[in-house]
Amino acid sequence: MTHPLVLVVDDDPDILDAICDILEGEGYRVARARHGVEALERVEAEPPAIILLDLMMPVMDGLAFAQALRERPGKEGIPIVVISADGNPQRAASVDAAGYLAKPFDIDALLSQVAQMTSSQASA
Amino acid sequence: MEREEPGQRETAAGQNRPDANERRSGYLGFVAHEVRNPLSTALWTAELLTRMSPEERGGARGDKLSAMCLRSLSRVRQLIEDHFLCERLDVAGIPVRAESLIIGEVIDGLLDRRPGDSPPVTVDLEGPIVAAVDRSLLERVIDSLLAVAGSENTPVHVIARGGADLIELSFSGHPPLPGALEDPRKGSPSDPKGRALALPVARRVAEALGGNLAVSDGRYVLTLARAATYTPQPESPAEP
Repeated sequence: MTHPLVLVVDDDPDILDAICDILEGEGYRVARARHGVEALERVEAEPPAIILLDLMMPVMDGLAFAQALRERPGKEGIPIVVISADGNPQRAASVDAAGYLAKPFDIDALLSQVAQMTSSQASA
Repeated sequence: MEREEPGQRETAAGQNRPDANERRSGYLGFVAHEVRNPLSTALWTAELLTRMSPEERGGARGDKLSAMCLRSLSRVRQLIEDHFLCERLDVAGIPVRAESLIIGEVIDGLLDRRPGDSPPVTVDLEGPIVAAVDRSLLERVIDSLLAVAGSENTPVHVIARGGADLIELSFSGHPPLPGALEDPRKGSPSDPKGRALALPVARRVAEALGGNLAVSDGRYVLTLARAATYTPQPESPAEP
């Protein structure tokens, strides 16, 4: 059985490393991107089951990425969970996100969100 | 010339206050954002380490997580130190102690203490330049400018010149962004090395030392007064 692929998008390399380590430790396959343009390339290469998305990033920020994703046929339904340090959950609504995690969030809260969304996709 | 009516100045100041409050709120939002990222990594990696068996903690993954945790805590420490130095300088709460310092020796000392992965720095000194300034503040402003000029591992070139009344230190490397000397606001670019507040620190310290920080021809230019014109604050509050 192939484990679900999670795409993690964040411009902070340590955040990327840490979240990927957490998810890989639970058996998920993980793709990583440092900004929206890289994230779109990863989505084209292999659509993930879920995207963990930072908002403030160089090159292409989270809002622009989400908009571009929603315009791509077949990719528009991929659930996005916003992971942000800006402390403003309202921002999640602006990307039509399925969830919001405010940094620094608990590891178990992250795993719970990812598990819930990947399992609901598998059963859909 | 129009005469200013009583209360007119207060009214103008009052009208500016919302802008000032908004700028301050944006700045503090940026600081909070910058601290939360490395704080997140520090908490996650520490928690992952506690969940590991002793054997696993002593292995390659444990080493990697430990290094990430330490690096993140260093970023948090840098940001907190920079933030509170800015706050203290804003309320003139820093006691200064002037001493005669040879600029070249101060720079060499800082370069010796830099992490091994720092970008290369070349220094051109126009002879021995001596200033009478507070050592710790001078080190903070030079270290901050080395950090911002060396962003993204850009090699840094420092030129120090001494004039009759002024000392000028220029730092060229990573080109300054537009509005670089303004305080960052929410949404400003992050710094993965925890130096996002380096320029706010440098600008305030330059002013506290009686000098100035400017951007000119793609360089940061720090101007300090020579010893004869530098006078420390006579009634500086004592360190707690």
